[in-house]
Amino acid sequence: MPTSSPRIAILGHVTSSFGSLELERFANLDSLLAVPAFDVLLLDMPGASAGRLLRKLRIETSYRFSLIYCCRDLDGWCEALGDGAPPSDIQDVTPLWNLWEARFSLFDSARASDRFESRVLSWMWFRSSAEVHALRDPEVPQHYRYPLLEVLAGDEQVNTFVWLTLMAEQDWLEEGVLVDRVRLCSSCGSGRLNYVDVCPECQALDISRQPSLHCFTCGHVGAQENFLKDGLLLCPNCLNRLRHIGSDYDRPLENYRCRSCQAFFVDADVQARCLDCGLAHAPDKLRVREIRHYRLTEAGRLRCRQGFSNELGGGNHFGRLNLLGGKDFYELLTWQIQIVRRYKLPDFSLIGLRFVNLSDTLLRLGEHRGHAFVDSLVDRLQETVRETDRCSRSSEEFLWLMLPHTGAEGLLSVKRRLAQVAELFSGPELSQISLRVVSFTAPQDLLEQEDGELLLARLASELA
Amino acid sequence: MNPLVDQTQEILNELSGPGGLRHLFFMLFPFFLLLELPFNTLVLPGVLRWFVRRQFNRPQHSLYQPKVSCIITCYSEGMDVQKTLLSLCEQTYPGHIEMIPVVDGATLNQPTLHAVRDFRVDPFLYPRRYLRPIAKWQRGGRVSSLNAGLAHSSGEIVMALDGDTSFDNNMVSAIVRHFEDPTVPAVAGSLRVRNAWSSMVAAMQALEYLLSIHMSKIGLAEWNLVNNISGAFGAFRRSFLIKIGGWNTHTAEDLDITLRIKSYFGRHDLRIPFEPEAIGHTDAPTTLKQFLMQRLRWDGDLYFLYVRKHSHSINPTLLGWRSFLMMLVSGFFFQLVLPFIIFGYTLVALFILPVSTLLILSSLVYLLYLMITAILFGGLLLIVSDRPRQDLRLGLLVPIYPLFMLLMRCWSAVAMLNEMFRRGHEESGMAPWWVLRKATRF
Repeated sequence: MPTSSPRIAILGHVTSSFGSLELERFANLDSLLAVPAFDVLLLDMPGASAGRLLRKLRIETSYRFSLIYCCRDLDGWCEALGDGAPPSDIQDVTPLWNLWEARFSLFDSARASDRFESRVLSWMWFRSSAEVHALRDPEVPQHYRYPLLEVLAGDEQVNTFVWLTLMAEQDWLEEGVLVDRVRLCSSCGSGRLNYVDVCPECQALDISRQPSLHCFTCGHVGAQENFLKDGLLLCPNCLNRLRHIGSDYDRPLENYRCRSCQAFFVDADVQARCLDCGLAHAPDKLRVREIRHYRLTEAGRLRCRQGFSNELGGGNHFGRLNLLGGKDFYELLTWQIQIVRRYKLPDFSLIGLRFVNLSDTLLRLGEHRGHAFVDSLVDRLQETVRETDRCSRSSEEFLWLMLPHTGAEGLLSVKRRLAQVAELFSGPELSQISLRVVSFTAPQDLLEQEDGELLLARLASELA
Repeated sequence: MNPLVDQTQEILNELSGPGGLRHLFFMLFPFFLLLELPFNTLVLPGVLRWFVRRQFNRPQHSLYQPKVSCIITCYSEGMDVQKTLLSLCEQTYPGHIEMIPVVDGATLNQPTLHAVRDFRVDPFLYPRRYLRPIAKWQRGGRVSSLNAGLAHSSGEIVMALDGDTSFDNNMVSAIVRHFEDPTVPAVAGSLRVRNAWSSMVAAMQALEYLLSIHMSKIGLAEWNLVNNISGAFGAFRRSFLIKIGGWNTHTAEDLDITLRIKSYFGRHDLRIPFEPEAIGHTDAPTTLKQFLMQRLRWDGDLYFLYVRKHSHSINPTLLGWRSFLMMLVSGFFFQLVLPFIIFGYTLVALFILPVSTLLILSSLVYLLYLMITAILFGGLLLIVSDRPRQDLRLGLLVPIYPLFMLLMRCWSAVAMLNEMFRRGHEESGMAPWWVLRKATRF
């Protein structure tokens, strides 16, 4: 069980007070590492040095996952690797640390830390709201890096961008704020590109703008320098004097001349030249990459909880319900809807359950008791669910059951059994949880043009 | 027989008889002697002298390329200002040109202000042209615009230009070469009417600008007798302008500054050349009413300046004898007195002479004028004009031109009376009343 309060240390030179709390103070990293690891660290130093120190701390196994707060300003590294500014009252760290401790103990005992993927997912899971932060850094060729992935990778060689895409495809991570869109060399992947305008004929760089004139009398168009004679403008073709713009002549176009092939053209081509490998591309042939922050998805969070508790007691919580990922469930549902639309048979039903206040209650119960509660909940649910039914969770509170070959009467009996589940919430600590149920039977309740995703959205709004 | 033919016979008999020529001479005396003689004796030989001189002029390449500041007074010209700015950008002059459009009453004249603000000088196409706009939010009149521009200008040569006037691309280089001579404090430029064919009135003015202004200034300038540096197009040496204190309030600031420059002629060896190759194209009034109102102002201003404001400075000590005599003849007599004589003579002739005599006499006078106009026009096309092909069309108007001139002379008398009795200059549209009210009264 979690201890009541964490051991907190301050790293830094300047003394600053945190209430009456006696905190251990270290002047440098070496003296800190010399003693057994603390639970929570406070970095009391300017953002830049805090960022550097965080990088070193996260590489150390003892502080890799710890809660580390920066007391002063935050630079990009602090935001990516730290836990932000400490709460104004240092006592408020305790509940955060309790959560961290409960989750960390699951993770630690599962010995999941030998896999990069689990390290990253759990690092985020330990914190209530964390993300993989993209940091702009002109020193890397791609312009952006993910410091968290770099430090957690350790000696492993990980292509962070590929890995993040993979994680997002598998629905463990979801895309957060779009930070930037960069264009990269398609050959070496470097973003250090130079855009130059070149001659469209011979691709030479040496082009120059050339003012040109158009004589109204004879229609001659040519370079301005051919018209200038002794400070007067004379058309080289008809020898007329051009006195006034608009009535004798005008400037027809903005032209360029290539100094190497003498071509005369209106629009220059644009080339993107890679400063690293020297290759020249057309700008539309460059690789476009969107740089985003990434968050843990609901599925990722579940995976952390399940993955690590699997080892613990063999209890697969909601996992025993053959949970399907969100996308798979949508597709399955859509397919069922298509079948019903076309053949009218077999009918199927869908039940939506919402456990209002489930996550809050779990948090209050603590990790262990919460899991025990979920266990019993799942047991009850499993009694109602048949092997052919499919379940999915769209968030912590929502559970969806799809019942194939079940008409209105079948649905009614299932609902009766489900009502017994609500009896579970009668205990004093559980009274805040309430169960809301919504049901649907195809083809009767089916709306025109509705597919799986729309249907779930409609039902979810009824549960809200 | 027809009484008209009899009458003609009679007059012709009289003229062919003893003393007949003398009779004719006395009849035409006021017109011919007072109006045409001074003009022709000065102008035509001057034009010829200029022509001959130009034929033997060697083209000279000078390294004198001072920075030129163009103050462009803008009021309600709107997008036309951009034409002016573009034509200044297009100058072939190799030196630096600073363009200072001064928008007077910018709060009211938003379209003009926008036109100035939207104008971009491409530094690649026009590497030595700079735009320094000034917005005068409260209206202050032309003079305050010019003086504000002068204060912000940095060029050695300062040009005072109108926002509705655009220029040939050799204008600046043609003007600047005169300033190489240190005795030149100012240069007058020539104006053409750019909307000549938009109405009959505008077309008549186009011909008038060519014959009475362009040509006469070429002739007068040969004798250093330029009477006016046009307000829409004049160039000044900045140091001289600063020394005489810039432009002065009241209407007709162009004639005023010309007179004030000329009052140094008696003590210093100075000259004001006219440059026929520096040409500005301006918009002339298109309706008869607008035109008459413009002339009412111009001719009234003549009286105001010569008689009220500057009468004390018209003396040979200040002006020098040559300019003084010229001022007496052309300024006072030619422009102030003659319109009354012509006006009076026409009235008297209308009342006293029998209709037939009047007809014959006036047709003789008309023919005489027509002849003179034709000679001048021929001279213009052959000797002076820089666009003879374009000007040839104006030849169609030569037959009515004498009548137009007669009308102008009579209107001039009206304008003078308006100034004499009504102080018309105080109604000038060139400055707001709150500025004119504070100006010294003359």
